[in-house]
Amino acid sequence: MSPARSAERAEAAGRIGSPAVRDSAPGSPAIHAIGLRKRYRDTIALEGLSMSVARGEVFGFLGPNGSGKTTAVKLLLGLARPTSGEAMVLGAPAGDRETRRQIGYLPELFRFQSWLTAREVLALHCRLLRLPRLRWPDEVDGALRTVGLAGRGDAKVGTFSKGMQQRLGLGVALLGEPALVILDEPTSALDPVGRHDVRLIIRELRDRGATVFLNTHLLGEAEQVCDRVTILSKGEAVATGTLAELRGRRPSVRLRVTGLPADWWQRLDGFGRRTAEGDWLLVEDLNEGQVPELVAAIVSRGGQIEAVVPQRQSLEERFLELLEET
Amino acid sequence: MNPLLTIAWLTVREAARRRLVAAFALISILLVSLSGWGFYKLSHSTSVTSGETGLAVPQAVILFMFMFSFVVALSASAIASLAISGEIESGVLQTIIARPIRRSDVLLGKWLGMAGLLAAYTAIVCGLLVGIVDWASGYVPPDPVAATAFVLAEGIVLLTLVLLLSTRLSALAAGVLGVALFGIAWLAGVAGALGTAFGIRGMHTAGVISQYLLPTDGLWHSAMFYLEPSWFISQQLAGPRGEQANPFSASAAPTWPYLTWVVIWLVLVLAFGLINLQRREL
Repeated sequence: MSPARSAERAEAAGRIGSPAVRDSAPGSPAIHAIGLRKRYRDTIALEGLSMSVARGEVFGFLGPNGSGKTTAVKLLLGLARPTSGEAMVLGAPAGDRETRRQIGYLPELFRFQSWLTAREVLALHCRLLRLPRLRWPDEVDGALRTVGLAGRGDAKVGTFSKGMQQRLGLGVALLGEPALVILDEPTSALDPVGRHDVRLIIRELRDRGATVFLNTHLLGEAEQVCDRVTILSKGEAVATGTLAELRGRRPSVRLRVTGLPADWWQRLDGFGRRTAEGDWLLVEDLNEGQVPELVAAIVSRGGQIEAVVPQRQSLEERFLELLEET
Repeated sequence: MNPLLTIAWLTVREAARRRLVAAFALISILLVSLSGWGFYKLSHSTSVTSGETGLAVPQAVILFMFMFSFVVALSASAIASLAISGEIESGVLQTIIARPIRRSDVLLGKWLGMAGLLAAYTAIVCGLLVGIVDWASGYVPPDPVAATAFVLAEGIVLLTLVLLLSTRLSALAAGVLGVALFGIAWLAGVAGALGTAFGIRGMHTAGVISQYLLPTDGLWHSAMFYLEPSWFISQQLAGPRGEQANPFSASAAPTWPYLTWVVIWLVLVLAFGLINLQRREL
């Protein structure tokens, strides 16, 4: 990131971080859905989705294309009605008009009035949010800086690339210090720099106490910013939890150890399942946080540790495993 | 600003930015200057007697207004067809409706903005026409303000119908259907006039029903009535039966029950539009 961008970012972080998040029903989950079901004629888009997203959490909503992610978002915003089930958002029924003042939304299909400038689009949303007019300049300038469009505020949206339009959409979602920000595939049109910026913005939102609902099929994205995720497949939630919980298996580690007799590892009791692989030793099924203890035990026996390689199942592996199971 | 007025303001701004206002202005200049030239020639030609001019100018004004009412109706249909469906198809409307705004504010705001545009356009063109006809020939229709109001009302009726269609159908289908229904209503009006003139009960009834189902033709007849000099109406009534079927003449002023029905019709159609948009999945 250029120094100018860094300065903009720092300023933007200050903007995002300063005011307290408005909260209409403190204590209630940011999102609470019970048995949400949506059927479009012969197609079931969502099948009994139940989930709870805590306040201040960055929640990943993962799933392959067509798994029902965007349908769920539309139900949460009241853009579509559930066939059955119910959802509460910020303590009010999904779609509640006043609650929408506290929700920032970046749609998957981000399209804005091409005949307005970026600044005018943001001002329009300030107006729709019924923000005090005195706040508009700060809100608009802040949003433009945050999403890296500070120099393009007066350009017509119709002249923007898709990536710039997505940045503008993100800026629109940040207006009015929302308590909940729903981002539907927020990086689909962005380059690597843009993706990095989005991750920073999400972290800044979390730092100021906002809840972020991140709808994505990019597992790397979720892995880097989400506190918890739900994996959706064919309209059903197939797993929910922290990343560590979802990865499922207990920690395993591969170590390259020298300076000990050939069968030394057989006497290493209390450290999971051990398998020798030449100079390498694979230790599986460890307790959480037991790796340093294992290393210390080997060193105390006179072993020299050349390498320690954690053997975690990636989210992607677990994701594919779950999809295969369904 | 009230959300409804925000959307109305946005609609007018869009029309200005997308050069719709410029197109309206260009059409107005073209229409008024060409017709001014025509009326001047007609009134100052040595080959036409003053009696003939007195007969031709009022009819030419009616023909001009007929053509202009058609332009207003088509413009109304074109802008209304894109208003809801077009914005849902492009995804623009979802970003608006996700804000703390009622869907009814969106629909009524768009209606208000478009109706305002049509009103300004109609008032300016009709005003200029009346002025230029007066300058060129010294003729002023009996009640140009009432005639302008009815031409505008005709446009607003079609605007409201197409807006309703746009809450359910694609932009293209809504626009095409609106224009087709407008044409059918006009034709049904002609058939009704023929039925009335020749005493064909079925055709007369069809004409009356069509004027209630889609009041565009009924309003056009009302506009015509206020453009016709009284001698013209008397001549029509005294003339042969065929003359009474002339689709470019009206022998009776609109009745209050009919005008009340038009207001009810507008309210009902807008209400159906609101229900449709309320139910529509975005």
